[in-house]
Amino acid sequence: MLRSDRDPSLRSGLRKNMAQATYLEAIRQGLWEEMESDPTVFCIGEDIGIYGGAFKVTDGFVHHFGTSRVIDTPIAESAIVGAAFGAALTGMRPVAEFQFMDFIGCAFNQIVNMVAKSHYRWGAPAPLVLRGPCGGGVHGGPFHSQNPEMPFVHTPGMKVVAPATPSDAKGLIKSAIRDNNPVLFLEHKFLYRRIKEDVPENGHIVPIGKARVHREGRDLSVITYAAMVHTAQEAADILAKEGIEIEIIDLRTLCPLDREAITQTVKKTNKVILLHEDTKTGGLAGELAAIINEEAFDDLDGPIVRITALDTPVPFSPPLEHFFLPKVEDVVREARKLHAY
Amino acid sequence: MAIKSKSEKNSSAKASAKKTSLNGNRDTGRPGNGASMKAPAVRVNQYGIPDWRLEQPEFEVREVTDGPEIHYEIKGKLNTPVPPIRESKYLTKEQHLELYRWMVMNRRMEVALENLYKQSKVVGGVYFGLGQEACSCASAYALGPDDWFAPMIRNQGAQLVRGFHSRDIMMQYMAKAGSPTKGKDGTSHYGDIEKRHMVSPISMLGDLLPVMAGVSLGARLQGKELACLTWIGDGGQSTGVSYEGINFAAVRKLGLVLIIESNLWAYSTPTEYQVNVKDLANRAIGYGMPGVIIDGTDACQVYDATYEAVERAHRGEGPTLIEAKLMRMKGHAIHDAAAYVPKEMHEFWRKRDCIDRFQKYLLEKKWLTPAQDKEMIAAIEKEIDAEREFAENSPMPEGHTAAEGVYCEGGCHDIKPKYGMPQKARRSEGKLKESEAAIHFK
Repeated sequence: MLRSDRDPSLRSGLRKNMAQATYLEAIRQGLWEEMESDPTVFCIGEDIGIYGGAFKVTDGFVHHFGTSRVIDTPIAESAIVGAAFGAALTGMRPVAEFQFMDFIGCAFNQIVNMVAKSHYRWGAPAPLVLRGPCGGGVHGGPFHSQNPEMPFVHTPGMKVVAPATPSDAKGLIKSAIRDNNPVLFLEHKFLYRRIKEDVPENGHIVPIGKARVHREGRDLSVITYAAMVHTAQEAADILAKEGIEIEIIDLRTLCPLDREAITQTVKKTNKVILLHEDTKTGGLAGELAAIINEEAFDDLDGPIVRITALDTPVPFSPPLEHFFLPKVEDVVREARKLHAY
Repeated sequence: MAIKSKSEKNSSAKASAKKTSLNGNRDTGRPGNGASMKAPAVRVNQYGIPDWRLEQPEFEVREVTDGPEIHYEIKGKLNTPVPPIRESKYLTKEQHLELYRWMVMNRRMEVALENLYKQSKVVGGVYFGLGQEACSCASAYALGPDDWFAPMIRNQGAQLVRGFHSRDIMMQYMAKAGSPTKGKDGTSHYGDIEKRHMVSPISMLGDLLPVMAGVSLGARLQGKELACLTWIGDGGQSTGVSYEGINFAAVRKLGLVLIIESNLWAYSTPTEYQVNVKDLANRAIGYGMPGVIIDGTDACQVYDATYEAVERAHRGEGPTLIEAKLMRMKGHAIHDAAAYVPKEMHEFWRKRDCIDRFQKYLLEKKWLTPAQDKEMIAAIEKEIDAEREFAENSPMPEGHTAAEGVYCEGGCHDIKPKYGMPQKARRSEGKLKESEAAIHFK
């Protein structure tokens, strides 16, 4: 379904200091490099020490950095976020792991009321990263597949990042750690070991708040992020054979949004599909549509189209989950319709 | 008497006193006052939790349906004599007097707040710590200079003790531009991570507990053992995050000093309908940390218990749970007349007013004369008047500043470790190796 290391567009082996890395390894590299260079960075979460994390993101870290910088906690998400925030108040840069992003609901109050508002209310910066796996496609069921970005996109004070490629994952985790604000770093678990590309070894930073043109095209734009970037790419390959060239914008950061990149692509292609794996009602597509309305209404030559998951919990059984998730054929079908509009 | 949990085996609470009780062993060198000889022995309750109180009030509040009427009724011994103050093991005469001054300042400032409210100069409500001044002031007074604290709404006295001014609190309530939050938030919802090491509370209860554990953790990573003091009510500790925070502090032996202010009323709900235990300090056994019961209207007990907990935190031995028994003597906030409180219950605690008792104690000891007392109160009144005038005359914020400060950007803060760069505790020269593929979901 997704592009793999076979895809030449994901490779740029001519550049120096590159080595192939999966999305997961790229995150590990970014985290490792930041811990090496900044002693105030430490990891805290459930089963991240000797076990190395449920997805092995911190595998081997405790052996290298010691138990004081890779801290296993009780199963208590509010305590994890609260403790990370407290440590941040003393000038540390904690990286807190949610074993699955679905569990972020357990720490909702701590994040939204304690952490996100602290700089605004009382001038206390909260330089911490909340990271972990989100997303479906792995038959994880209703509690191990969700995309919980929107409550936090809607929380002033938070930054929300959702990379789609190994290079971006590495560059953005480093930026997130260096940022002086709380950053929610969403790792799409479907991508962890499915995609691989050349990733720069050191000093590679991707700025928060900047979208990326994943594929240039003239006919219509697909604005998307995370795993759906690859769904859009597969659709683009099919559509290209029909002479329809779609442009893919990978948002990379969901808050703050890159309004300029969104506006630019609409001004260029005049037709836009908004694609995300999150459910439809209250999803990011609604916000994107509003921005396009505000910034580029006169440039539109067709209706704004939303392709999202269903407004249901994420179902468990593979045929149900397949039906629930946005698919390549959905993008192809809607793109053909919009192209003909 | 040292604070001791039953979970620590093979020693009775009594025996442990000699082992762990400290007297003036702190860097700041506070000598004992020699008064400890007079203090009566400490009881332990049925679960082995030390109870420093000199009386154990026996009464219970119940919902009573009386025809069409439903109200709270109190039953028990309500005419027992007011107990004496337990002599402090640690406070000097001068410290007694300084602490007394803070308590009076706390109360008088709240009277000033009430007056400002009545003159419609306050935005929103006002919260009071009436009857809880000893608990707020004596505990904050027991902290070392570098220690952190996070007050709840009734701990305005602690803010004064730790270096904020009455004007700061007044301007918070009046939503002034010069308030610590520049009008972004009100009441006690402010803090200072630079100098006074106060973490801002939020309205949701219990969320400060893991945060204060985290402050202790952050400092420890920088090589510093801090005491991190916070308070919570018998109502507030019902929240799930309270458990999470206390448990995490206990597991990692972090320097949390937690005072549960058992003030008997959670807004309008009595403790009896909040928890099914008589002494919340018993929960320390479940957390695996020391617990102690004190009389929250006795400034000396509050100070001594906090002092020992602070010492324990400085030694890196972990958190302490102090349950302070007292009563909230006003409603939840100024709008609430607390008509649900049985009159005889209010009367019982009014006789135990923490400031009256401490004043009487100091007068009896002849550490304070009535003339000096009068003079001190007059000086406090004068100071508060000046503070109030400053607060009243300061401007409201400009509307457009509402848009500022959501993010920390453009170099507004230089973030660096407060207590020194953590040591790189690297255990190997190894490089990052690819992780194994056995994962939760593929």
